[in-house]
This record gives sequence, C-alpha cells and structure tokens, in this order.
Amino acid sequence: MGLISGIGRLAARNAHVLVIEVPGNWQTRAAVERAVLMRGWRLAFSPADADVLAVCGGPGPQLREAVELVWHQMPGPRVRVEVRHRGEATTRLDEVHGRLLDTAHHRSDARDRPAAPDLLADTEMDHGDMDHGDMDHGDMDHGEMDHGEMDHGDMEMSPGGIPLAGGGEDRDGLEMDVLNVPLGPVLPHWPAGLVLRCALQGDVITEAQAELLDHGTPERVPLSDAVARRMDNIAALLALAGWGEAAAEARVIRDCLLGGGHDAEVAARTARLVRRVGRSRVLRWSLRGVRPLSEGDLGVSGLPAALAGDTYDRVLRMLKAADTDVVGHRISSDQLPRLVSGLDLATARLVLASLDLHELQAGPAEHEASHV
Amino acid sequence: MSDLMLAAGAITPEVTVVPGGWAILALLILGSLTLFAAALDGALSARAAGVANGLGRPFGETARLLRQRRRTTVQADHLLWRIGGAGLLVTAALMVTVVPLGEWMIFDLDVGVMWFNAMDVLVWAVVWLTGWGANSAHSLVGGYRFLAHGLGYELPLMFALVAPAIAAGSLNVGQVAEAQDELWFAVWMPVAFLVYLLGVVAFSVSGPFAPAIGTDIAGGVRAELSGVDRLVFEAGRYALLAAGAAFAVPMFLGGGAGPLLPGWAWVLLKTVLLLAVLVWARRRVPALRPDKFMEVGWLVVLPAVLVQDLVVAVIAAGRG
Repeated sequence: MGLISGIGRLAARNAHVLVIEVPGNWQTRAAVERAVLMRGWRLAFSPADADVLAVCGGPGPQLREAVELVWHQMPGPRVRVEVRHRGEATTRLDEVHGRLLDTAHHRSDARDRPAAPDLLADTEMDHGDMDHGDMDHGDMDHGEMDHGEMDHGDMEMSPGGIPLAGGGEDRDGLEMDVLNVPLGPVLPHWPAGLVLRCALQGDVITEAQAELLDHGTPERVPLSDAVARRMDNIAALLALAGWGEAAAEARVIRDCLLGGGHDAEVAARTARLVRRVGRSRVLRWSLRGVRPLSEGDLGVSGLPAALAGDTYDRVLRMLKAADTDVVGHRISSDQLPRLVSGLDLATARLVLASLDLHELQAGPAEHEASHV
Repeated sequence: MSDLMLAAGAITPEVTVVPGGWAILALLILGSLTLFAAALDGALSARAAGVANGLGRPFGETARLLRQRRRTTVQADHLLWRIGGAGLLVTAALMVTVVPLGEWMIFDLDVGVMWFNAMDVLVWAVVWLTGWGANSAHSLVGGYRFLAHGLGYELPLMFALVAPAIAAGSLNVGQVAEAQDELWFAVWMPVAFLVYLLGVVAFSVSGPFAPAIGTDIAGGVRAELSGVDRLVFEAGRYALLAAGAAFAVPMFLGGGAGPLLPGWAWVLLKTVLLLAVLVWARRRVPALRPDKFMEVGWLVVLPAVLVQDLVVAVIAAGRG
C-alpha cells in the first residue's frame, strides 16, 4: 500500500488540468492557468490528458452540456472544479489536490461511471432537445453531423454511433471524404464559447458554420485589462505557432500585468519578447501570405479595417500594440467561417488567433452557412 | 592510410561483439538517456514558465500516468493503435543496437547504417498508426501532418547518412567511427551533420516538427492517449531523440575516440552533450508548417546535402 499511496501523492503533485473558459471569464482562466503552473502542474490539451477539469465561470446550459461530455471522456482519476472568481483560483486548486488523493473515491468513481454504450444510447435520446430545442439549424444536413452529442442513431450508416464520412470534391476536383468535425468549445487557445462546425477534407476546412453557445454571453473586458488581454492573445498565437517557449514568456508577462505590475521590468520583458518574435524568420515564413485581406474585402464583410494585410502583418500589428492600451477587435462570429474556409486546420487557427479578439459577438446570421 | 584497409571490408579487431544478454545494459543506458532528456526538458520548460524546478518532472509524469486509467474511443482500431503507441520506444531500442559503445557492440551489422535508416522509416508507420487507430479526427490530422513532414525530412536524412558512409567506404557503423582517426566527420561534412540532426528532431516528433502533436489539434496523434499508453508514447519520443544522438557519435563525432577516458565513456559523454544541445535547441524554433516544409526539404535541404555528398565523394576518391 505504501507504494500505491506514494505513487498517488507523486501523481497528485503533477496533475494536468484542462481549463474551460466560460465567455466573459478570461481573467479567471488566466488566474487558473497561473495557479496551475505555480503548483508545478501542467495544462492539458485534451480530455484524455487531463486529471482535473477546471471550469472558469458559471456555464450556461449549452456549455454545461459540452462540459459534461468532456467529463465523460476523462480517463480518471478525475476531479472537476468550478472557479467563479479569479481570486479563488489558488484555494480551489488546493481543494482539488486533496480530492486527487482520495483513492477510495476514485475507485468507486471508476466502478460506477457510465460505460460508453450507455452514454452513446443517452446521446441518441437527448438528440431531440439538443438539436432542435435550442438551436435552429435550418437546412443543415443532419446525416452528416458529427458523433456524440449530435448523433442520429442511424446505425446502418454509423458504426458505433459515428456516421461514416460522406464524399465530395476536394480543391483539386478529386473525390475525397468529407468529415464533419466541430472545433470547440473545449480546445486550447480557442475563443470561449465558440463552436465552429467544420466540414473537413483531409485537414482542409471546406465549409464552416460558427455558433456561440448560450447565445454569446457578452464579454466585458475592463479597459484597464486591455494590455493583458492582448498579451493573452499573443501567448495563444505563439502557442498555436508551435513556439512554446515564447508563448510561456508571453504568459508570464500577461500574469505580471494582471497582477497589477506595469513597471519597468514588465516593459523591458515585453520589448524583449516583441523583438524576439519579430526577428523569427520561421514565424514570418509560416505566416506570410496566409489569408490576406484587402481593404475592399474588409469593407464588404464589415471587419475592422485594422485587419488588413496577411496573417503576418496582423501579428506584427499585434506585437506593435503590445504595450499600448488600444483595445483589440470586436468581431461577429458570422465573420469567422469566411476567414477559415479553404484553409487547413493549422493555418485556420493561426488566422483566428491573429485577429486580436477583444470580444466575440453573436451575429444575426449566425447559422447561415458559408461556402468556399 | 587506414581507410584503405577499412574499404576492403576487413573486420577491425577493435570491435568486440558482446553476447545478447548485454542488450539489457544497452536498454538501461537508453532508459537513462531518455530520463536525462525528459528531465532537462522539464527543467527548461519550468524555467520558461517562471516556476520552480522541473527536473523531477519525468518521475512525476510517470507516477501520474501509471495511476491514470487507460481509455479507449468508440470503434478504435485497438491493435494498430496500441502497436503505434508502443512502437516508438521499440524503434528507439532497435536503433541503439548498432551503436558501438567504445569497442563493444551488440550487433556488428555490415549494413548498420542502413539498419538505422530502416528504423527511422519505421517511425512513419508508428506515428501514423497512433494517429489512425484512435478513430478520432484530431489524431488523424496529426497523422497526416507527420507524413507531410516525413516527405520533407526523410530523403535529406537518408542522404545525410550517406556522406559518412562514403567517406569511410563502409556501411558498418564501427568502421565509420574508426575512419575518423584524424578528423571528425562533423567537422568536414557540417551540412550532412546538421541535416542529420534536423532529421533526429523530426523523427522524434519534437520541436519544430511537433505539429503532429500540436496544441492546435488538442495534442494530435496523442490526443486520445491516456495512462500507460501515453507514457510509452511520450517516453518513446525522448528515447528516439536519445537514440538519434547516440547514433550521431560514431557517425559524425569520432565514436569512442578521445584522450584519457576509455572509449565507452567518450561515447556516453558525447551522446549526453549532443542530447542536451538537441533538447535545448529544438525549443527555440517555432513549428515548421507541414504543408510548407516539403518545399524547403526538397528545394533547399536536399540539394544542399547532395552537394555535400558529392564533395565527400570527390575527396574520398582523391584520397583513394
């Protein structure tokens, strides 16, 4: 028993935490991320990797449903916690640490939790409310909706409850499988509450529909936090660009800013980071020419004029504004499908991260499909 | 000139093939190197995040993943998925069998260089199967990305391995090491050496070649791995980096040659230093986009390494 409890203690000291941000709670998310790292814990990328599920803020009904789904996917020993304010992040994680050590509880959780077939059967029954109650999907093709929460139970075409991929012409006019994959709402460095329902051919998004869960709770970022918010955006972009070390530095600066520090040291670190990122040829090489937007495009689609240029231009502008309190952009979720269609997942995510989002608003035509 | 004798394919008396049981020791050494790489990586990422010492992270991660339950996904292709997950570690172990530790070897293969090359190609299958088997979109996309990278790095890596073999006139790893009496191959064939190191970082799915396990796709090929499956996958990635560093020693860094210390100590010392450099350097570069990297791989890296091979061949012919 000594060995098992020893492993348990060591494991609890090294937990991985999947953080879910409820729209409007990004400061809480930042505080939780900080508290996680300070404990020597790490942030998880997916439910499979997570021991702890930390929900920042009080989720609405749709997001709560997504949180449940993620909870079912966690391997266990698993602990979930809701952090309501940025101030309580540390104490909540202390409690989580204690609960991680409760081996007896985890044993019974493992025994009593619903098995996959029960969950799949449940989601088929839930389907009615889920799909038609809250959201109006108009003429979307239900046969191609993704697995899990959206399943139709069409067993012949969906082994194990997952519909088979449909076919379609790809960019080169060849027949290729089309997979319907929702991006979000639980994905690292992803705008809170956003679900982008994508049709994928290979890893290319051919078609997308954006939706803000729970009708897009407006995000109120105090202007005093605008600088920290931009640094958070920069950290997300760098992480998505696969530059973990620079992203970690941006996160440290963000936390200093949120902690009230705006002194010479923070300014110097910011300047150093901006120089380092600006000098990176690999970053320029990978972002140059990605989704260029002309002034005309922006005018037609109603996007802010400051987003002109390609993704690298937008990133440079973000870096340039890193120490000014110019507020980031307010963008309607309607605009997003147009921005990502035709791109592969990696570049699509970089394009979204380059928008320097301050606030994502639900658009009037949210459910309208966008085609390439 | 000693090359002439080597070129004739004579087995040099300096290499002793040890009985198979010693493979356990080789695995222990590989394990220690893996642990070293993971600990150093943990310490560096802790420092970047501005938090306390991360040296103990591999132990903590191991404990955590041993305690975590394995999970599966709906309609997963279990057999292929598990083969993929465990495959990286197995591949790394197979790679080090042809690395001479000073004068001792486990396998004195005449075509040791080809053996290593075959193992690094195996990584393609292994990573792809891990991505494929989970029946999950993010994992699958990770698999695509690795194959796209593979198309870009594999040919340059092969031709980088050709350069020392031409210079030594042998595909036997021990003989390649012996051929560096006067000057390390890393010194007079720097392009091949750098391209080889690029290949090592690439087949260990790390640093700029990590998009296959990227944050943007929730961890890519490893998105659905948990518990012991994730443990062997992650350990396999560090082990591949360690095996790649170990193989560079006889190929480019003079093998066990060095003053004072015995050959085996020099091999270990050089491996540890190179491994530390790789762990440190790979963190400093953003990801190379898989869809764009092939262009660089074929239009810049491949021609560069071919020119290197040509130069090496001309010099080797001139000496002969």
